[in-house]
Amino acid sequence: MIPNSTPNSVPNAVPNGRELTVVLDPAHGGPDAGSRGAAGVVESEIVLNFARAIRQTLQGQGFRVLLTREGNQDPSFDDRSSMINGLRNAVFVTLHVSSTGPVGTVRTYSYGEIATPPVVSATGKPLPETRPGTTRSTAISRTGLIPWDRAQEAYLNASERLAQLTQIQLAQEFGGSPELSLPAAVRQLRTIAAPAIAVEISSVAVSGPAQLAQMTPRLADAVTHAIVDFQVANGGALTTPAAGRGGGPGVGAGPPLGGAH
Amino acid sequence: MAMARHWKIAILILAIAAFVGVWTFPSLLRNVLRLRRAPVTEEQARREIVQEPISTPTDAPQKAQLFWASLTSFGALEPTEIDLPLSADPAERSKQLIAALIARAPTGAQRTLPANAELLQLYVLQDGTAIADFSEALPTQVPSGIVSEQMAVDSIAHTLGANVPGVSRLKILIHGQEADTLAGHVDLSVFFPVIAPIASPESDTAPAGGTASPASSTSPSSTLPSPVSPSSASSRVSPGPAAGANGPPTPAKSPLTPASSSSPQPH
Repeated sequence: MIPNSTPNSVPNAVPNGRELTVVLDPAHGGPDAGSRGAAGVVESEIVLNFARAIRQTLQGQGFRVLLTREGNQDPSFDDRSSMINGLRNAVFVTLHVSSTGPVGTVRTYSYGEIATPPVVSATGKPLPETRPGTTRSTAISRTGLIPWDRAQEAYLNASERLAQLTQIQLAQEFGGSPELSLPAAVRQLRTIAAPAIAVEISSVAVSGPAQLAQMTPRLADAVTHAIVDFQVANGGALTTPAAGRGGGPGVGAGPPLGGAH
Repeated sequence: MAMARHWKIAILILAIAAFVGVWTFPSLLRNVLRLRRAPVTEEQARREIVQEPISTPTDAPQKAQLFWASLTSFGALEPTEIDLPLSADPAERSKQLIAALIARAPTGAQRTLPANAELLQLYVLQDGTAIADFSEALPTQVPSGIVSEQMAVDSIAHTLGANVPGVSRLKILIHGQEADTLAGHVDLSVFFPVIAPIASPESDTAPAGGTASPASSTSPSSTLPSPVSPSSASSRVSPGPAAGANGPPTPAKSPLTPASSSSPQPH
């Protein structure tokens, strides 16, 4: 079922008519601080600062922006999903800071329960994989309802495009970052009925919060560029995903959500 | 002149001591190196004593391909071939492989599963589903984050895929229970496809930090990239550290403009 309660957030005004709503999700919060670095860096605090900065840049472009939390609250995965699942023309970006990885690099993920990490040979050469990933079976039932638990399945292709566009921008801003986005089974994304991505910054293993804070303007710029590109590529009008494969040529709020199946 | 008796005794003792030293030095050196290489935690030491190695009547020494983290490309896995006695029974074989994945990581940096993680049980169902039940140490000690959690899952899936015929998907339980996430990020409510990667003919001859890059799947930001279908999984590869210089050309970024000037209006 769709949860009745929504986390606290203050909807922003819609300047200049860009009707795409961007829901930014600073991950963790409350007792769940996320990753912690030796220098006192706390993931839940850093991602909230990132989200606030990205919101400002997006609003400057005329987007309506919502945050899944404005302070140190800890909304559940479903609370966060419920903020976007009732909206039309919306995209979701969840923000994380990892505990590993080269500092200053950023990775973007779209949902995929596909075990396809990059695989390289001992020499670093990428290896092909023999078996195709699982079929992306549609989650849209014969009744036209999307099971809450599999809401993202109808948007996999759109999410992958948004992730690719975002990673292209991030790779330009942050040297050493991969050129392409990757699929990952990110729990938060599974229940989002809209194009949805996760952005993970490396890492909490910095000398202090300032090292991550200095990434903020470029991160905000890159994410905003990607969302502008995504909207432009969709002609500004986001439509319902094609049944069967999900995403199709357009993306959007999708069919009405059903209860949990 | 005859040597004094006490000198003879002293020389004899020294000679014996030197002989013993030479005799024991190699094993002493080996032990020192082993201690330097792999610091053993209390939990590991306990397990080594309590837990018997998994052996079955059908065990046969084989070259197994295990997937640990790449040292050259962060976020990527790398196959390593090791000699391992493997059972003919898929479930026992899978247990042996996962035990080796935990216990025999070549270096700490290549480890994908915590050293203290323990595979409590593993079943293989008739439909090819492997159900692996891990101890609490897996979620509590795996580094938190999307990349590290996904690599933990994928190292298991790839290792099973490369060595256990008939296993097609993987379900991970924590202490007998279904968990929402591994460590806050990766979804454990799903079944992970078990994929068998193979080496491409050129891969072994490629220079370090290979330059192969999935250029075909990117495009300028003004147009959408081609969707990467699951069947073209080979394009989902890490460009590696060198790819920034040799990877696909990326579009020049145009400055962001205020919404009122050039932003597309909604239809």
